[in-house]
Amino acid sequence: MSHLVTEHLSYVYGEGTPFKVTALDNVNINIEKSELVAIIGHTGSGKSTLVQHMNGLLKPTGGKIFLDGEDIHLSKAKTYETRFKVGLCFQYPEYQLFESTVYKDIAFGPTNMGLSKGEIDERVRNAAKYVGISDEMLQKSPFDLSGGEKRRVAIAGVISMGPEILILDEPTSGLDPRGREQILSLIKNYRDETGKTVIIVSHSMDDVARLADKVIVMNDAKVESCGTVDEVYENSSRLTEIGLSVPQVTEIFVRLKKLGYPVNENVYTAQQGYSELMRLFKGRGIL
Amino acid sequence: MADTIIEFQNVTFRYEGDEGIVLSPAVKDFSLKIGGGEFVAVLGHNGSGKSTLAKLANGLLLPESGDVLVDGMNTKNEDDDIKIKQTVGVVFQNPDNQIVATIVEEDVAFGPENLGIEQSEIRRRVDGALKIVGMYNYRRHEPHKLSGGQKQRVAIAGIIAMEPRCIILDEPTAMLDPVGRKDVMNAIKRLNREMGITVVYITHYMEEACEAQRIIVMDDAKLLMDGTPEEIFSDPEKIREIGLDVPQTCRLAEMLKNSGIKITGNVLGIDELVENIDSLLRGQQNVTSCN
Repeated sequence: MSHLVTEHLSYVYGEGTPFKVTALDNVNINIEKSELVAIIGHTGSGKSTLVQHMNGLLKPTGGKIFLDGEDIHLSKAKTYETRFKVGLCFQYPEYQLFESTVYKDIAFGPTNMGLSKGEIDERVRNAAKYVGISDEMLQKSPFDLSGGEKRRVAIAGVISMGPEILILDEPTSGLDPRGREQILSLIKNYRDETGKTVIIVSHSMDDVARLADKVIVMNDAKVESCGTVDEVYENSSRLTEIGLSVPQVTEIFVRLKKLGYPVNENVYTAQQGYSELMRLFKGRGIL
Repeated sequence: MADTIIEFQNVTFRYEGDEGIVLSPAVKDFSLKIGGGEFVAVLGHNGSGKSTLAKLANGLLLPESGDVLVDGMNTKNEDDDIKIKQTVGVVFQNPDNQIVATIVEEDVAFGPENLGIEQSEIRRRVDGALKIVGMYNYRRHEPHKLSGGQKQRVAIAGIIAMEPRCIILDEPTAMLDPVGRKDVMNAIKRLNREMGITVVYITHYMEEACEAQRIIVMDDAKLLMDGTPEEIFSDPEKIREIGLDVPQTCRLAEMLKNSGIKITGNVLGIDELVENIDSLLRGQQNVTSCN
Protein backbone atom coordinates (compact mmCIF):
# COMPACT_ATOMS: atom_id res chain seq x y z
CA MET A 1 0.00 0.00 0.00
CA SER A 2 1.29 3.46 -0.85
CA HIS A 3 2.47 5.12 2.32
CA LEU A 4 4.35 8.24 1.32
CA VAL A 5 3.91 9.67 -2.16
CA THR A 6 5.23 12.78 -3.86
CA GLU A 7 3.48 14.13 -6.94
CA HIS A 8 5.31 16.51 -9.26
CA LEU A 9 7.21 17.77 -6.24
CA SER A 10 9.35 20.82 -6.99
CA TYR A 11 11.29 23.16 -4.79
CA VAL A 12 13.03 26.35 -5.85
CA TYR A 13 15.32 28.31 -3.52
CA GLY A 14 15.39 32.09 -4.01
CA GLU A 15 12.54 32.30 -6.53
CA GLY A 16 12.41 35.75 -8.15
CA THR A 17 16.05 36.56 -7.28
CA PRO A 18 19.18 36.17 -9.43
CA PHE A 19 20.24 33.34 -7.10
CA LYS A 20 17.34 31.06 -8.03
CA VAL A 21 18.25 27.39 -7.66
CA THR A 22 15.98 24.48 -8.48
CA ALA A 23 16.64 21.91 -5.77
CA LEU A 24 13.83 19.53 -6.70
CA ASP A 25 12.36 19.23 -10.15
CA ASN A 26 9.17 17.22 -10.70
CA VAL A 27 9.96 14.44 -8.25
CA ASN A 28 7.49 11.54 -8.24
CA ILE A 29 8.18 8.78 -5.78
CA ASN A 30 6.13 6.16 -4.04
CA ILE A 31 7.22 4.57 -0.78
CA GLU A 32 5.36 1.55 0.58
CA LYS A 33 4.72 0.69 4.20
CA SER A 34 7.59 -1.20 5.89
CA GLU A 35 9.98 -0.57 3.04
CA LEU A 36 13.64 0.19 3.71
CA VAL A 37 14.41 2.82 1.14
CA ALA A 38 17.79 4.39 0.32
CA ILE A 39 18.12 7.75 -1.38
CA ILE A 40 21.50 8.22 -3.03
CA GLY A 41 23.04 10.98 -5.12
CA HIS A 42 26.09 13.24 -5.21
CA THR A 43 26.39 16.29 -2.94
CA GLY A 44 23.86 18.90 -4.02
CA SER A 45 21.67 16.46 -5.96
CA GLY A 46 18.63 17.25 -3.81
CA LYS A 47 18.59 14.32 -1.39
CA SER A 48 18.43 16.35 1.81
CA THR A 49 15.93 18.81 0.35
CA LEU A 50 13.74 15.86 -0.59
CA VAL A 51 13.71 14.31 2.88
CA GLN A 52 13.06 17.68 4.49
CA HIS A 53 9.85 17.82 2.47
CA MET A 54 8.75 14.44 3.75
CA ASN A 55 8.00 15.65 7.25
CA GLY A 56 6.75 19.08 6.20
CA LEU A 57 9.88 20.95 7.26
CA LEU A 58 10.05 22.53 3.81
CA LYS A 59 6.95 23.43 1.83
CA PRO A 60 7.03 22.55 -1.87
CA THR A 61 6.99 25.41 -4.38
CA GLY A 62 5.17 23.02 -6.71
CA GLY A 63 3.43 19.64 -6.40
CA LYS A 64 2.20 17.70 -3.40
CA ILE A 65 3.18 15.17 -0.76
CA PHE A 66 0.73 12.58 0.48
CA LEU A 67 1.00 10.58 3.68
CA ASP A 68 -1.45 7.67 3.72
CA GLY A 69 -3.38 9.34 0.93
CA GLU A 70 -3.72 12.75 2.56
CA ASP A 71 -1.98 15.95 1.48
CA ILE A 72 0.36 16.86 4.35
CA HIS A 73 -0.16 20.57 3.71
CA LEU A 74 -3.96 20.35 3.62
CA SER A 75 -4.13 22.25 6.91
CA LYS A 76 -1.80 23.47 9.62
CA ALA A 77 -3.01 20.70 11.89
CA LYS A 78 -2.22 18.12 9.24
CA THR A 79 1.34 19.45 8.80
CA TYR A 80 1.82 19.41 12.57
CA GLU A 81 0.62 15.84 12.76
CA THR A 82 3.02 14.86 9.95
CA ARG A 83 5.99 16.09 11.97
CA PHE A 84 5.24 13.42 14.57
CA LYS A 85 4.45 10.70 12.08
CA VAL A 86 7.62 11.25 10.09
CA GLY A 87 10.73 11.44 12.27
CA LEU A 88 13.75 13.06 10.67
CA CYS A 89 17.26 12.56 11.99
CA PHE A 90 19.67 15.06 10.47
CA GLN A 91 23.28 14.58 9.41
CA TYR A 92 25.69 14.54 12.35
CA PRO A 93 22.76 14.46 14.81
CA GLU A 94 25.14 14.09 17.76
CA TYR A 95 25.82 17.83 17.51
CA GLN A 96 22.23 18.34 18.61
CA LEU A 97 22.55 16.49 21.91
CA PHE A 98 22.22 18.98 24.74
CA GLU A 99 20.73 17.44 27.89
CA SER A 100 22.64 16.53 31.04
CA THR A 101 21.93 12.81 30.74
CA VAL A 102 21.36 10.43 27.87
CA TYR A 103 17.97 9.57 29.40
CA LYS A 104 16.79 13.18 29.35
CA ASP A 105 18.01 13.67 25.82
CA ILE A 106 16.05 10.70 24.50
CA ALA A 107 13.04 11.83 26.58
CA PHE A 108 13.03 15.33 25.09
CA GLY A 109 10.76 14.51 22.15
CA PRO A 110 8.18 12.43 24.05
CA THR A 111 8.11 15.07 26.83
CA ASN A 112 7.24 17.76 24.29
CA MET A 113 4.50 15.52 22.97
CA GLY A 114 2.83 15.89 26.37
CA LEU A 115 2.94 12.20 27.27
CA SER A 116 2.62 10.85 30.80
CA LYS A 117 5.74 10.07 32.83
CA GLY A 118 5.14 6.34 32.61
CA GLU A 119 4.66 6.49 28.86
CA ILE A 120 7.81 8.61 28.43
CA ASP A 121 9.82 6.14 30.49
CA GLU A 122 8.61 3.23 28.42
CA ARG A 123 9.45 4.98 25.19
CA VAL A 124 12.92 6.00 26.31
CA ARG A 125 13.81 2.47 27.41
CA ASN A 126 12.34 1.00 24.27
CA ALA A 127 14.22 3.39 21.98
CA ALA A 128 17.45 2.81 23.94
CA LYS A 129 17.01 -0.92 23.46
CA TYR A 130 16.75 -0.57 19.67
CA VAL A 131 19.98 1.40 19.45
CA GLY A 132 21.86 -0.74 21.97
CA ILE A 133 22.23 1.85 24.73
CA SER A 134 22.41 0.13 28.14
CA ASP A 135 20.54 1.24 31.29
CA GLU A 136 23.84 2.26 32.81
CA MET A 137 24.61 4.53 29.87
CA LEU A 138 21.23 6.27 30.21
CA GLN A 139 22.46 8.03 33.33
CA LYS A 140 25.71 9.26 31.76
CA SER A 141 26.25 12.64 30.18
CA PRO A 142 25.88 12.32 26.40
CA PHE A 143 29.17 14.17 26.06
CA ASP A 144 31.11 11.37 27.74
CA LEU A 145 30.14 8.88 25.03
CA SER A 146 32.08 7.87 21.93
CA GLY A 147 31.14 9.23 18.50
CA GLY A 148 29.24 6.11 17.53
CA GLU A 149 27.38 6.00 20.87
CA LYS A 150 26.38 9.67 20.59
CA ARG A 151 25.06 9.02 17.11
CA ARG A 152 22.94 6.14 18.42
CA VAL A 153 21.57 8.26 21.28
CA ALA A 154 20.54 10.93 18.77
CA ILE A 155 18.76 8.32 16.66
CA ALA A 156 17.01 7.00 19.79
CA GLY A 157 15.78 10.55 20.39
CA VAL A 158 13.84 10.34 17.13
CA ILE A 159 12.70 6.73 17.58
CA SER A 160 11.27 7.61 21.01
CA MET A 161 8.74 9.88 19.33
CA GLY A 162 7.24 6.76 17.75
CA PRO A 163 7.24 7.89 14.12
CA GLU A 164 5.55 5.81 11.42
CA ILE A 165 8.41 6.66 9.11
CA LEU A 166 12.00 7.07 10.31
CA ILE A 167 14.28 9.11 8.06
CA LEU A 168 18.04 9.13 8.65
CA ASP A 169 20.20 11.58 6.70
CA GLU A 170 23.70 10.09 6.24
CA PRO A 171 23.52 7.95 9.39
CA THR A 172 27.02 6.43 9.08
CA SER A 173 29.13 9.34 7.87
CA GLY A 174 32.24 10.05 9.92
CA LEU A 175 32.04 6.82 11.90
CA ASP A 176 34.71 4.15 12.05
CA PRO A 177 33.97 0.69 10.56
CA ARG A 178 32.65 -0.75 13.83
CA GLY A 179 30.41 2.25 14.46
CA ARG A 180 29.12 2.03 10.92
CA GLU A 181 28.38 -1.67 11.34
CA GLN A 182 26.40 -1.06 14.55
CA ILE A 183 24.27 1.67 13.01
CA LEU A 184 23.49 -0.40 9.92
CA SER A 185 22.44 -3.45 11.87
CA LEU A 186 20.31 -1.40 14.25
CA ILE A 187 18.51 0.19 11.30
CA LYS A 188 17.75 -3.21 9.84
CA ASN A 189 16.64 -4.70 13.18
CA TYR A 190 14.43 -1.72 13.91
CA ARG A 191 12.64 -2.09 10.59
CA ASP A 192 12.35 -5.88 10.89
CA GLU A 193 11.01 -5.77 14.44
CA THR A 194 8.66 -2.80 14.19
CA GLY A 195 7.64 -3.16 10.55
CA LYS A 196 7.95 0.60 10.23
CA THR A 197 9.13 2.40 7.13
CA VAL A 198 12.76 3.54 7.15
CA ILE A 199 14.37 5.90 4.67
CA ILE A 200 18.12 6.49 4.66
CA VAL A 201 20.09 9.07 2.71
CA SER A 202 23.55 7.78 1.88
CA HIS A 203 26.74 8.21 -0.12
CA SER A 204 27.91 4.75 0.69
CA MET A 205 27.03 2.40 -2.10
CA ASP A 206 28.28 -0.52 -0.01
CA ASP A 207 25.87 0.27 2.82
CA VAL A 208 22.96 0.77 0.44
CA ALA A 209 23.59 -2.52 -1.35
CA ARG A 210 23.41 -4.41 1.93
CA LEU A 211 20.32 -2.76 3.35
CA ALA A 212 17.83 -1.33 0.96
CA ASP A 213 14.70 -2.88 -0.55
CA LYS A 214 14.42 0.06 -2.87
CA VAL A 215 16.93 2.64 -4.09
CA ILE A 216 16.07 6.11 -5.35
CA VAL A 217 18.90 7.80 -7.25
CA MET A 218 18.82 11.60 -7.34
CA ASN A 219 20.75 13.63 -9.89
CA ASP A 220 20.54 17.37 -10.47
CA ALA A 221 17.24 17.81 -8.62
CA LYS A 222 15.55 14.95 -10.50
CA VAL A 223 14.94 11.28 -9.88
CA GLU A 224 17.52 9.57 -12.06
CA SER A 225 16.34 6.03 -11.41
CA CYS A 226 14.41 4.01 -8.89
CA GLY A 227 14.25 0.29 -8.26
CA THR A 228 15.81 -2.62 -6.41
CA VAL A 229 19.55 -2.61 -5.72
CA ASP A 230 20.11 -4.96 -8.68
CA GLU A 231 18.11 -2.78 -11.05
CA VAL A 232 19.79 0.45 -10.04
CA TYR A 233 23.37 -0.86 -9.82
CA GLU A 234 23.12 -2.60 -13.18
CA ASN A 235 24.13 0.57 -14.93
CA SER A 236 27.40 1.12 -13.08
CA SER A 237 28.97 3.37 -15.71
CA ARG A 238 26.01 5.75 -15.48
CA LEU A 239 26.30 5.83 -11.68
CA THR A 240 29.96 6.80 -11.98
CA GLU A 241 29.02 9.50 -14.48
CA ILE A 242 26.67 11.14 -12.00
CA GLY A 243 29.21 11.19 -9.21
CA LEU A 244 28.47 7.91 -7.48
CA SER A 245 30.38 4.68 -7.54
CA VAL A 246 29.51 1.03 -7.26
CA PRO A 247 31.10 -1.02 -4.46
CA GLN A 248 34.70 -2.18 -5.03
CA VAL A 249 33.59 -5.80 -5.20
CA THR A 250 31.03 -4.99 -7.92
CA GLU A 251 33.77 -3.25 -9.88
CA ILE A 252 35.81 -6.48 -9.86
CA PHE A 253 32.95 -8.38 -11.46
CA VAL A 254 32.25 -5.68 -14.02
CA ARG A 255 35.91 -5.96 -15.05
CA LEU A 256 35.84 -9.77 -15.16
CA LYS A 257 32.77 -9.68 -17.35
CA LYS A 258 34.51 -7.25 -19.71
CA LEU A 259 37.36 -9.74 -19.95
CA GLY A 260 34.79 -12.23 -21.19
CA TYR A 261 34.17 -14.35 -18.09
CA PRO A 262 30.62 -15.60 -17.50
CA VAL A 263 30.05 -13.87 -14.14
CA ASN A 264 27.10 -12.17 -12.54
CA GLU A 265 27.75 -8.44 -12.05
CA ASN A 266 25.10 -8.07 -9.34
CA VAL A 267 27.58 -8.77 -6.59
CA TYR A 268 28.04 -6.18 -3.86
CA THR A 269 29.70 -7.73 -0.84
CA ALA A 270 32.86 -9.77 -0.32
CA GLN A 271 30.71 -12.74 0.71
CA GLN A 272 28.63 -12.61 -2.48
CA GLY A 273 31.78 -12.14 -4.52
CA TYR A 274 33.33 -15.15 -2.90
CA SER A 275 30.35 -17.40 -3.74
CA GLU A 276 30.30 -16.16 -7.31
CA LEU A 277 34.03 -16.75 -7.81
CA MET A 278 33.89 -20.19 -6.23
CA ARG A 279 31.10 -21.07 -8.63
CA LEU A 280 33.29 -19.94 -11.52
CA PHE A 281 36.36 -21.81 -10.25
CA LYS A 282 34.44 -25.01 -9.61
CA GLY A 283 32.83 -24.81 -13.04
CA ARG A 284 36.27 -24.65 -14.58
CA GLY A 285 37.62 -27.53 -12.56
CA ILE A 286 39.94 -25.39 -10.44
CA LEU A 287 39.73 -26.71 -6.86
CA MET B 1 64.07 9.78 2.43
CA ALA B 2 65.05 13.21 3.71
CA ASP B 3 65.44 14.18 7.37
CA THR B 4 62.84 13.63 10.01
CA ILE B 5 60.19 16.35 9.86
CA ILE B 6 57.96 15.37 12.77
CA GLU B 7 59.13 13.42 15.75
CA PHE B 8 57.08 12.31 18.77
CA GLN B 9 59.27 11.36 21.73
CA ASN B 10 57.35 9.40 24.41
CA VAL B 11 54.45 11.82 24.20
CA THR B 12 51.57 11.63 26.66
CA PHE B 13 48.60 13.99 26.49
CA ARG B 14 45.26 14.13 28.28
CA TYR B 15 42.34 16.50 27.90
CA GLU B 16 41.07 18.34 30.94
CA GLY B 17 37.95 16.85 32.52
CA ASP B 18 35.15 18.74 34.25
CA GLU B 19 35.61 19.75 37.86
CA GLY B 20 38.95 18.12 38.42
CA ILE B 21 38.01 14.73 36.99
CA VAL B 22 41.17 13.15 35.64
CA LEU B 23 40.61 11.66 32.19
CA SER B 24 42.69 8.83 30.81
CA PRO B 25 45.33 9.94 28.30
CA ALA B 26 44.25 10.54 24.70
CA VAL B 27 47.80 9.77 23.61
CA LYS B 28 50.04 7.65 25.81
CA ASP B 29 53.82 7.24 25.68
CA PHE B 30 53.74 7.67 21.94
CA SER B 31 56.87 7.71 19.80
CA LEU B 32 57.01 8.13 16.03
CA LYS B 33 59.27 9.59 13.35
CA ILE B 34 57.91 10.90 10.08
CA GLY B 35 60.45 11.60 7.36
CA GLY B 36 60.34 14.49 4.88
CA GLY B 37 58.40 13.56 1.73
CA GLU B 38 56.58 10.60 3.24
CA PHE B 39 52.88 9.88 2.67
CA VAL B 40 51.60 8.35 5.91
CA ALA B 41 48.01 7.27 6.57
CA VAL B 42 46.77 7.10 10.15
CA LEU B 43 44.04 4.59 11.01
CA GLY B 44 42.24 3.92 14.27
CA HIS B 45 38.70 3.76 15.59
CA ASN B 46 36.85 6.85 16.88
CA GLY B 47 38.52 7.98 20.07
CA SER B 48 41.80 6.15 19.46
CA GLY B 49 43.80 9.39 19.54
CA LYS B 50 44.25 10.17 15.85
CA SER B 51 42.99 13.76 15.90
CA THR B 52 44.90 14.51 19.09
CA LEU B 53 48.02 13.41 17.25
CA ALA B 54 47.29 15.92 14.47
CA LYS B 55 46.88 18.75 16.96
CA LEU B 56 50.02 17.82 18.86
CA ALA B 57 52.01 17.75 15.62
CA ASN B 58 51.71 21.47 14.95
CA GLY B 59 51.55 22.77 18.48
CA LEU B 60 47.78 23.32 18.71
CA LEU B 61 48.06 21.04 21.76
CA LEU B 62 51.14 20.62 23.91
CA PRO B 63 52.25 17.31 25.46
CA GLU B 64 51.82 16.65 29.18
CA SER B 65 55.09 14.74 29.06
CA GLY B 66 57.51 13.95 26.27
CA ASP B 67 58.32 16.20 23.33
CA VAL B 68 57.11 16.88 19.83
CA LEU B 69 59.81 18.12 17.47
CA VAL B 70 58.89 19.77 14.18
CA ASP B 71 61.92 20.07 11.94
CA GLY B 72 63.97 20.00 15.12
CA MET B 73 61.91 22.71 16.87
CA ASN B 74 60.18 21.77 20.13
CA THR B 75 56.47 22.68 20.07
CA LYS B 76 56.80 23.71 23.72
CA ASN B 77 59.07 26.55 22.70
CA GLU B 78 56.77 29.54 22.21
CA ASP B 79 59.33 31.46 20.18
CA ASP B 80 59.14 28.86 17.44
CA ASP B 81 55.34 28.71 17.43
CA ILE B 82 54.79 30.62 14.18
CA LYS B 83 57.62 28.79 12.40
CA ILE B 84 56.14 25.47 13.51
CA LYS B 85 52.67 26.35 12.23
CA GLN B 86 54.22 27.43 8.93
CA THR B 87 56.03 24.12 8.67
CA VAL B 88 53.02 21.93 9.47
CA GLY B 89 49.55 22.89 8.21
CA VAL B 90 46.34 21.11 9.25
CA VAL B 91 43.14 20.56 7.25
CA PHE B 92 40.09 19.46 9.21
CA GLN B 93 36.99 17.43 8.44
CA ASN B 94 34.37 20.07 7.84
CA PRO B 95 35.16 22.37 4.89
CA ASP B 96 32.50 24.87 5.98
CA ASN B 97 34.42 25.68 9.14
CA GLN B 98 37.61 26.51 7.29
CA ILE B 99 36.55 29.05 4.69
CA VAL B 100 36.97 32.68 5.75
CA ALA B 101 36.63 34.86 2.63
CA THR B 102 33.87 35.47 0.08
CA ILE B 103 35.98 34.80 -3.03
CA VAL B 104 38.01 31.63 -3.52
CA GLU B 105 41.35 33.33 -4.30
CA GLU B 106 40.98 35.70 -1.36
CA ASP B 107 40.40 32.74 0.90
CA VAL B 108 43.57 31.06 -0.32
CA ALA B 109 45.48 34.37 0.10
CA PHE B 110 44.39 34.73 3.74
CA GLY B 111 47.31 32.71 5.17
CA PRO B 112 50.16 34.29 3.19
CA GLU B 113 48.68 37.77 3.76
CA ASN B 114 48.87 37.18 7.50
CA LEU B 115 52.50 36.16 7.11
CA GLY B 116 53.17 39.64 5.69
CA ILE B 117 54.31 38.39 2.32
CA GLU B 118 54.46 40.90 -0.55
CA GLN B 119 51.66 41.09 -3.13
CA SER B 120 53.36 39.63 -6.19
CA GLU B 121 54.59 36.67 -4.18
CA ILE B 122 51.09 36.10 -2.77
CA ARG B 123 49.70 36.13 -6.32
CA ARG B 124 52.24 33.50 -7.38
CA ARG B 125 51.51 31.29 -4.38
CA VAL B 126 47.72 31.53 -4.67
CA ASP B 127 47.74 30.70 -8.39
CA GLY B 128 50.14 27.82 -7.85
CA ALA B 129 48.15 26.40 -4.94
CA LEU B 130 44.84 26.60 -6.80
CA LYS B 131 46.34 24.92 -9.86
CA ILE B 132 47.73 21.98 -7.96
CA VAL B 133 44.36 21.20 -6.34
CA GLY B 134 42.56 21.71 -9.67
CA MET B 135 40.55 24.76 -8.54
CA TYR B 136 42.24 27.51 -10.59
CA ASN B 137 39.22 27.94 -12.85
CA TYR B 138 37.11 28.63 -9.78
CA ARG B 139 39.38 31.36 -8.39
CA ARG B 140 36.75 34.08 -8.68
CA HIS B 141 33.85 31.95 -7.45
CA GLU B 142 32.10 32.29 -4.11
CA PRO B 143 33.24 29.46 -1.82
CA HIS B 144 29.82 28.81 -0.29
CA LYS B 145 28.45 27.87 -3.69
CA LEU B 146 31.03 25.16 -4.25
CA SER B 147 30.47 21.47 -3.56
CA GLY B 148 31.97 19.89 -0.44
CA GLY B 149 34.87 18.38 -2.38
CA GLN B 150 35.63 21.70 -4.06
CA LYS B 151 35.52 23.56 -0.74
CA GLN B 152 37.85 21.05 0.81
CA ARG B 153 40.31 21.50 -2.06
CA VAL B 154 40.15 25.28 -1.54
CA ALA B 155 40.93 24.72 2.14
CA ILE B 156 43.92 22.57 1.13
CA ALA B 157 45.08 25.28 -1.30
CA GLY B 158 44.90 27.77 1.58
CA ILE B 159 47.35 25.63 3.52
CA ILE B 160 49.64 25.06 0.53
CA ALA B 161 49.87 28.80 -0.09
CA MET B 162 51.66 29.04 3.24
CA GLU B 163 54.25 26.70 1.72
CA PRO B 164 54.38 24.20 4.57
CA ARG B 165 56.74 21.25 4.36
CA CYS B 166 54.14 18.99 5.88
CA ILE B 167 50.36 18.88 5.66
CA ILE B 168 48.15 16.93 8.07
CA LEU B 169 44.63 16.10 6.95
CA ASP B 170 42.15 14.98 9.58
CA GLU B 171 39.46 12.95 7.79
CA PRO B 172 39.20 15.49 4.97
CA THR B 173 36.81 13.33 2.96
CA ALA B 174 34.42 12.18 5.69
CA MET B 175 31.68 14.56 4.58
CA LEU B 176 32.16 14.14 0.84
CA ASP B 177 30.50 12.05 -1.85
CA PRO B 178 32.52 9.49 -3.86
CA VAL B 179 33.58 11.92 -6.57
CA GLY B 180 34.51 14.65 -4.10
CA ARG B 181 36.54 12.07 -2.22
CA LYS B 182 38.43 11.00 -5.32
CA ASP B 183 39.18 14.61 -6.34
CA VAL B 184 40.57 15.45 -2.90
CA MET B 185 42.66 12.27 -2.83
CA ASN B 186 44.10 13.04 -6.28
CA ALA B 187 45.02 16.57 -5.17
CA ILE B 188 46.78 15.19 -2.10
CA LYS B 189 48.72 12.63 -4.10
CA ARG B 190 49.89 15.39 -6.41
CA LEU B 191 51.09 17.53 -3.49
CA ASN B 192 53.11 14.65 -2.23
CA ARG B 193 54.56 13.54 -5.55
CA GLU B 194 55.04 16.82 -7.39
CA MET B 195 55.83 19.21 -4.57
CA GLY B 196 57.45 16.74 -2.20
CA ILE B 197 55.18 17.83 0.67
CA THR B 198 55.00 15.36 3.54
CA VAL B 199 51.41 14.14 3.95
CA VAL B 200 49.89 12.73 7.12
CA TYR B 201 46.42 11.50 6.25
CA ILE B 202 43.94 10.51 8.95
CA THR B 203 41.04 8.45 7.64
CA HIS B 204 38.38 5.82 8.29
CA TYR B 205 38.40 4.69 4.69
CA MET B 206 40.65 1.66 4.31
CA GLU B 207 40.75 2.07 0.53
CA GLU B 208 42.18 5.57 0.95
CA ALA B 209 44.82 4.36 3.37
CA CYS B 210 46.06 1.94 0.69
CA GLU B 211 47.18 4.96 -1.34
CA ALA B 212 49.82 5.82 1.26
CA GLN B 213 53.35 4.42 1.43
CA ARG B 214 53.09 3.80 5.12
CA ILE B 215 50.19 3.21 7.52
CA ILE B 216 50.23 3.66 11.25
CA VAL B 217 47.41 2.22 13.32
CA MET B 218 46.38 3.78 16.63
CA ASP B 219 44.52 1.91 19.32
CA ASP B 220 43.68 3.14 22.82
CA ALA B 221 46.00 6.13 22.67
CA LYS B 222 48.93 4.00 21.55
CA LEU B 223 50.75 3.08 18.38
CA LEU B 224 49.64 -0.46 17.53
CA MET B 225 51.04 -1.08 14.04
CA ASP B 226 53.41 0.67 11.66
CA GLY B 227 54.13 -0.63 8.17
CA THR B 228 53.35 -0.60 4.48
CA PRO B 229 49.70 -1.08 3.41
CA GLU B 230 50.64 -4.62 2.33
CA GLU B 231 52.03 -5.42 5.76
CA ILE B 232 49.15 -3.84 7.69
CA PHE B 233 46.36 -5.50 5.73
CA SER B 234 48.07 -8.89 5.65
CA ASP B 235 46.72 -9.49 9.16
CA PRO B 236 42.95 -8.94 8.78
CA GLU B 237 42.17 -10.59 12.13
CA LYS B 238 44.22 -8.07 14.05
CA ILE B 239 42.71 -5.18 12.11
CA ARG B 240 39.15 -6.36 12.85
CA GLU B 241 39.90 -6.94 16.50
CA ILE B 242 40.43 -3.23 17.02
CA GLY B 243 37.21 -2.23 15.28
CA LEU B 244 38.66 -1.49 11.85
CA ASP B 245 38.25 -3.41 8.65
CA VAL B 246 40.30 -4.39 5.64
CA PRO B 247 39.30 -3.15 2.17
CA GLN B 248 36.59 -5.30 0.56
CA THR B 249 39.04 -6.52 -2.07
CA CYS B 250 41.46 -7.73 0.63
CA ARG B 251 38.62 -9.50 2.39
CA LEU B 252 37.59 -11.26 -0.80
CA ALA B 253 41.21 -12.28 -1.51
CA GLU B 254 41.51 -13.58 2.04
CA MET B 255 38.40 -15.74 1.68
CA LEU B 256 39.68 -17.17 -1.60
CA LYS B 257 43.08 -17.94 -0.06
CA ASN B 258 41.40 -19.71 2.86
CA SER B 259 39.61 -21.94 0.36
CA GLY B 260 42.89 -22.94 -1.22
CA ILE B 261 42.75 -20.65 -4.24
CA LYS B 262 46.23 -19.54 -5.15
CA ILE B 263 46.31 -15.77 -4.89
CA THR B 264 49.78 -14.35 -5.34
CA GLY B 265 51.15 -11.19 -3.76
CA ASN B 266 49.28 -8.92 -1.41
CA VAL B 267 45.98 -7.90 -2.86
CA LEU B 268 45.04 -4.33 -1.97
CA GLY B 269 43.08 -3.09 -4.94
CA ILE B 270 40.76 -4.06 -7.74
CA ASP B 271 43.55 -4.29 -10.33
CA GLU B 272 45.58 -6.86 -8.42
CA LEU B 273 42.62 -9.10 -7.70
CA VAL B 274 41.29 -9.00 -11.26
CA GLU B 275 44.78 -9.81 -12.59
CA ASN B 276 45.10 -12.68 -10.15
CA ILE B 277 41.78 -14.23 -11.09
CA ASP B 278 42.38 -13.66 -14.79
CA SER B 279 45.78 -15.35 -14.75
CA LEU B 280 44.43 -18.25 -12.67
CA LEU B 281 41.66 -18.89 -15.19
CA ARG B 282 43.92 -18.32 -18.17
CA GLY B 283 46.55 -20.70 -16.84
CA GLN B 284 43.89 -23.29 -16.42
CA GLN B 285 42.61 -22.72 -19.97
CA ASN B 286 46.13 -23.28 -21.31
CA VAL B 287 46.37 -26.56 -19.47
CA THR B 288 43.12 -27.82 -20.96
CA SER B 289 44.14 -26.78 -24.46
CA CYS B 290 47.39 -28.73 -24.08
CA ASN B 291 45.45 -31.83 -23.19
